[in-house]
Amino acid sequence: MKRILASVTDGKGFDIGLVLLPLAFLFAMSGLPLVYNVVMSFQEVDMFSLGSIVRPFVGLKNYVDLFAQPETRPILLNTALFVSASIAGQFLIGFGLALFFWMNFPGASWLRGLFLVSWVMPGLVVGAIWNWILSGDFGVLNFFLRETGVIEGNIFWRSDPNYSLWAVIIANIWLGTSFNMILLSVGLSGIPKDLYEAAELDGANALQRFFTITLPMMRSTIGAIVALGLIFTLQQFDLFAGITSGGPNNSSNVTQYWAWDLSFRQYDFAKGATISVIMIVFVMLASVVYVRSTRHEVRG
Amino acid sequence: MGIRRFAILGTVALGTSLAAFAANAEDVTISVWSLDRDIQPAPNLIKDFNKLNTGIKVEYRQIQFDDVVSEAMRAYSTGQAPDIIAVDNPEHALFSSRGAFLDLTDMIAKSSVVKAENYFPGPLASVTWEGKYYGIPKATNTIALYYNKDMFKAKGLDPNKPPQTWDELVEAARKLTDPAANVYGLAFSAKANEEGTFQFLPWAQMAGGGYDNINTEGAVKALDTWKTIIDEKLASPDSLTRGQWDSTGTFNSGNAAMAISGPWELDRMIQEAKFDWGVALLPVPDIGAERSSAMGDFNWAIFSSTDHPEEAFKVLEYFVSQDDRMFKDFGQLPARSDVAIPPTGQPLKDAALKVFLEQLKYAKPRGPHPEWPKISKAIQDAIQAALTGQMSSKEALDQAAEKIKAVLG
Repeated sequence: MKRILASVTDGKGFDIGLVLLPLAFLFAMSGLPLVYNVVMSFQEVDMFSLGSIVRPFVGLKNYVDLFAQPETRPILLNTALFVSASIAGQFLIGFGLALFFWMNFPGASWLRGLFLVSWVMPGLVVGAIWNWILSGDFGVLNFFLRETGVIEGNIFWRSDPNYSLWAVIIANIWLGTSFNMILLSVGLSGIPKDLYEAAELDGANALQRFFTITLPMMRSTIGAIVALGLIFTLQQFDLFAGITSGGPNNSSNVTQYWAWDLSFRQYDFAKGATISVIMIVFVMLASVVYVRSTRHEVRG
Repeated sequence: MGIRRFAILGTVALGTSLAAFAANAEDVTISVWSLDRDIQPAPNLIKDFNKLNTGIKVEYRQIQFDDVVSEAMRAYSTGQAPDIIAVDNPEHALFSSRGAFLDLTDMIAKSSVVKAENYFPGPLASVTWEGKYYGIPKATNTIALYYNKDMFKAKGLDPNKPPQTWDELVEAARKLTDPAANVYGLAFSAKANEEGTFQFLPWAQMAGGGYDNINTEGAVKALDTWKTIIDEKLASPDSLTRGQWDSTGTFNSGNAAMAISGPWELDRMIQEAKFDWGVALLPVPDIGAERSSAMGDFNWAIFSSTDHPEEAFKVLEYFVSQDDRMFKDFGQLPARSDVAIPPTGQPLKDAALKVFLEQLKYAKPRGPHPEWPKISKAIQDAIQAALTGQMSSKEALDQAAEKIKAVLG
């Protein structure tokens, strides 16, 4: 006992305490709910047993039932499409913009700041605005496409099962592009200028410089952005609530929205938890990529 | 000066609050939760009740529509439930069936204010579970057909003869639809939430279907009729993702000639609609067919965990005794057939009210069933699967029937 107390004063125990405290906090704040969620996916839960931990154990029944439902497959495929298309769109447009502003013309940094407006807007507001933009009869997007002659008749973005998921993807790309752009801009500014000067002297053209210097130097940034993008898009909920509510007939439903719908609209908390567990696995994979791609940055 | 004045004020404030505390020390406190805002019944009735000094002090808390059930569940399961709550009528059975709400049958039998026979059968059924009353209907509403009389005249239709049957409705919608002028024949909601079920179920019920036999021939015909309306673009395809409030908005702005919605639209319509309009009963499959309608709005209930059931019931009795003010002061329809609603002085609104009161006679509750949200979801999916052409009406409703059968057990 005395030794332990002494160790606190001599510093070593103090250090351990400093580590343990946040660890305990982290475990209480995010570890416990996570464990609770996993436990819930193996139990039979209804709204009145929601408050108690001891509930009938049903094994893998929730998982089996879930995969027996006809909407599960399309919703999983929708999620995959939503995530990959959103990340691709956000990244490509974000990278394009970052390179554009990197040219550093007058007012570039000011304009770049303006792009952040989309990032600070609450998701539900963005959802409501895109809901109007994508409206079939009077939406601005249809008006624009019609006037420029791209389409003949109106496209019912929100209500046509062929477009409904894309409606949310378009809104999500708009929402996430500026974040990608800012992170990529930081990555770009971290590349030493003399590399380019040397390459230029050696006669490398712009395209060669991009592929031999810019891209390799940005590898860890890109890895981090893709991983973060995966996490953010798997979290995206507000846009679905604001634009399509997962409809029509689940054509724009994704796992995260479905989990909410099952838990809080159909009060099937066990199934909601089961979907969350499946999603946790994917997010964990993304986290591994993220940690691996960022660990080189901490060189002390 | 300033400090002294503060000190005096402080003493006075302390004194009065102590006095108030002393006066109320014997009072029983009853807590009420509802989603009513300051211009709606609950907070106002509570204010009036507290002025009566009955020895019961009522505290009010406003909750948001989306939070009512989850908040109530959490409160109940942790023993913090209020004494009285207002819940949406299809969710009432959820609580009654699990013993979370107090059985009021005996109290109602003894009460001189609350009489079961005064209520419309629909709202009353929604508070009933296994033959017992677990609540009191707070207000009620339903849906009917709004139509633009000016457009009827312009297209050669008789503005005093709104469509009576489904075929007439579709026929009228065909005549009224005018893509060049951005006018759809009809506006309604087939959204993938409770609103879609609320709008479709009456159609199925009129044709002999119901939530427990959703795939009958009549219900299939009802869904086919909806499909015709969507396929021929007599209603906006966005009806599938638009709620009732937004859909009726297109009627108010002259972009739809008819709209199916409820009395909650009346005040807005009087302000916004710059044309002559009327309200008709929901069209039926054939002349003489059974009428039906959806029934909306909230019920009062007492949580079974309350320490003061008698006092809580007295508070509800007071609310019920004020039902004749519901429409005049708060624009809500009392769920009772014995309360006369005085004219408002606005001819369009008064005429509409008559139709809604008539329609209310045919209003049926959704359920009651403790797993209603799952049943509702199955119906929503079927509507949308058929309307988007992914399945035939028959297939979609068969699938819904199967899902519902699993829920009903």
